[in-house]
Amino acid sequence: MPAPYHRNALRHLARGALAVSALLASAAGQAAEELHLYNWGDYINPQVLSRFTEQTGIKVSLDTYGSNEEMLAKLQAGASGYDIVFPSVHMQDSMAALGLLEKTSIDRSPAFANIDPSFLRAKSDPKGEYCMPYAWGTVGIFYNKTKVSKPIESWADFFAEAKAGKKVIMLDDMRETLGVGLIVNGKSVDSTDLADIKQAESWLLERKPLVSAFTYESVPMVQSGDVAAAHYFVGAMMYVKQDPEHLAYVIPKEGATLYQEDMCVLKSAPNKANAKRFMEFFLQPEIAALNTEQQMNGTPNKEALKLLPAELRDNPEVNPGPEVMAKLQIFHDLGKDLKKYDRAWTRVRTAN
Amino acid sequence: MLTAENRARWRLAGLLSPATLIIGLFFVVPLAIMALYSLLEPGMYGGVEWTFYPDNFGRILGWADGSNEEFDVVYLQILLRSFKLAAITVLLTLLVCYPAAFWVSRQPERLRNFCLFLITLPFFTSLIVRLYAWVLILRPTGFLNASLQGLGLIDAPLDLIYTEGAVLLGMTYIFVPFMFLPIYASVEKLDRRLLEASADLGAGRWQSFWRVIFPLTLPGIAAGSIIVFIPSLGNFIVPSLLGGARVLMIGNLVEQQFLAARNWPFGAALAMLIMAAVLLFLLLYVRWQGRAALKEAAR
Repeated sequence: MPAPYHRNALRHLARGALAVSALLASAAGQAAEELHLYNWGDYINPQVLSRFTEQTGIKVSLDTYGSNEEMLAKLQAGASGYDIVFPSVHMQDSMAALGLLEKTSIDRSPAFANIDPSFLRAKSDPKGEYCMPYAWGTVGIFYNKTKVSKPIESWADFFAEAKAGKKVIMLDDMRETLGVGLIVNGKSVDSTDLADIKQAESWLLERKPLVSAFTYESVPMVQSGDVAAAHYFVGAMMYVKQDPEHLAYVIPKEGATLYQEDMCVLKSAPNKANAKRFMEFFLQPEIAALNTEQQMNGTPNKEALKLLPAELRDNPEVNPGPEVMAKLQIFHDLGKDLKKYDRAWTRVRTAN
Repeated sequence: MLTAENRARWRLAGLLSPATLIIGLFFVVPLAIMALYSLLEPGMYGGVEWTFYPDNFGRILGWADGSNEEFDVVYLQILLRSFKLAAITVLLTLLVCYPAAFWVSRQPERLRNFCLFLITLPFFTSLIVRLYAWVLILRPTGFLNASLQGLGLIDAPLDLIYTEGAVLLGMTYIFVPFMFLPIYASVEKLDRRLLEASADLGAGRWQSFWRVIFPLTLPGIAAGSIIVFIPSLGNFIVPSLLGGARVLMIGNLVEQQFLAARNWPFGAALAMLIMAAVLLFLLLYVRWQGRAALKEAAR
């Protein structure tokens, strides 16, 4: 999952302005063919959208959300008019259980062969009859090279810098941050065993005095060197690319979480045919590559991967080799057991 | 046949109905939904199951026996901490605004109006943008540390951001206008001749302040305190942005329940408790005001 968008003040304003202009645009051209996307903030290359409109004449509007839960809550509250959403895999399973997703049969499209079948991770959709794998990435450590004593390779290094008086920050995210506690102790990030969760909780509590903040506002703080290192998404690579001398992103040795979002059509979608056209458009390797190049994350499209510039394709922090891949874990929906995480997280956040 | 009295009654009902409708639609109905949800079982993916479920409150107040939910004292601690922060915010804004209101009220009219304009100026920009400006000021490479270092006053940057001090600064900054305006209203009304009278009657400065000025401005202080207290109780943006979210406030907790934890009923129960606490304070205020009015009438 990319960094939640709504927490960033300035982007929030920009988003407001965009929404207004989109509204005006849609009011102007009622008759034209339309497609309405509801995606994470900053999670699609705008060029992909403009190219789609050029080729098909279909007008695309884009609304954004900051978390899976925000998106689901809006849809449950009756938000309509959206055609395509981009849930994380575990949220896709929840949405399938709630009957919100449309069967698209996208797996029958010839270009679906471009998709690496190992990315068909949703339990509710093992063949890809509903949704199409969109993008993936890791959650690791984003740091400022000038502020640390040696390159950070692991969570142990991260907290060693903190012990030496450097400022470090972690995500304000219940499952991601407790997930670090589970990973370093060799447990599954989906564990529902209270003993495991308790262990992760006390591991975090021991280190809480070393953590300056729990936040998503990490990028500017690391860029300026106000913070030496931050628990952050691979999307930080966008900034590393601009300033590779000072910045770096690393997948910690202990392991990390992996996220993947899929492109799904809603049952309530008003423009289902256009939505399918967009999915097929996105299956083209050049288009998927155009997106990934700007996003600096992973693509499930095998053919697109070949088209990427070598420094991205062969970057072990973005497209790691098989032994690192084996250490990555993806979240699954926990149902009622989510409660255990909520309690542990509340206790971590309440301790002084 | 309508009698005159009946007609007057119908007219009154007609005049009151738009206001009643608005309050009903935008206040009573949402509140009733929240009260109802707080007593229902949480649904698997958010939402509610329609079964009676008293354990949402039990989790906070102690009667959850562990079969469905388990009591944890942590929620009361969070509530208490939020109360403490709100109370300190009231004190700090009062400390800033009370003397400032006196100063402004003594200025010539044009300067006075300009000062009032300055006080309300922050409302023209978004709260989040203004708080983010404080992040830029307080961070280690930020404006304040850079200036102090440039002047040679400090060698290494001070720890300003992500501290309790930063949270208090931010809270005070946000709520100063809310405190200032009611206090200013009561200070401006203050009849200066009463001060002359009290001086003529031999009262010292302190005596005049405590026995004349303070009681006369007390309604402004009380109104300001309430207007500041209520929103600061639920505020979590300041502790998140300036305090680094290291400590959970009741507002964060409610947000966490509705989003990450997908437990709407528990979030609703927490919100109901905050509301009950606020109502209690308002009730005390109204009673205090009523008694003061009675005293006034008896004189």
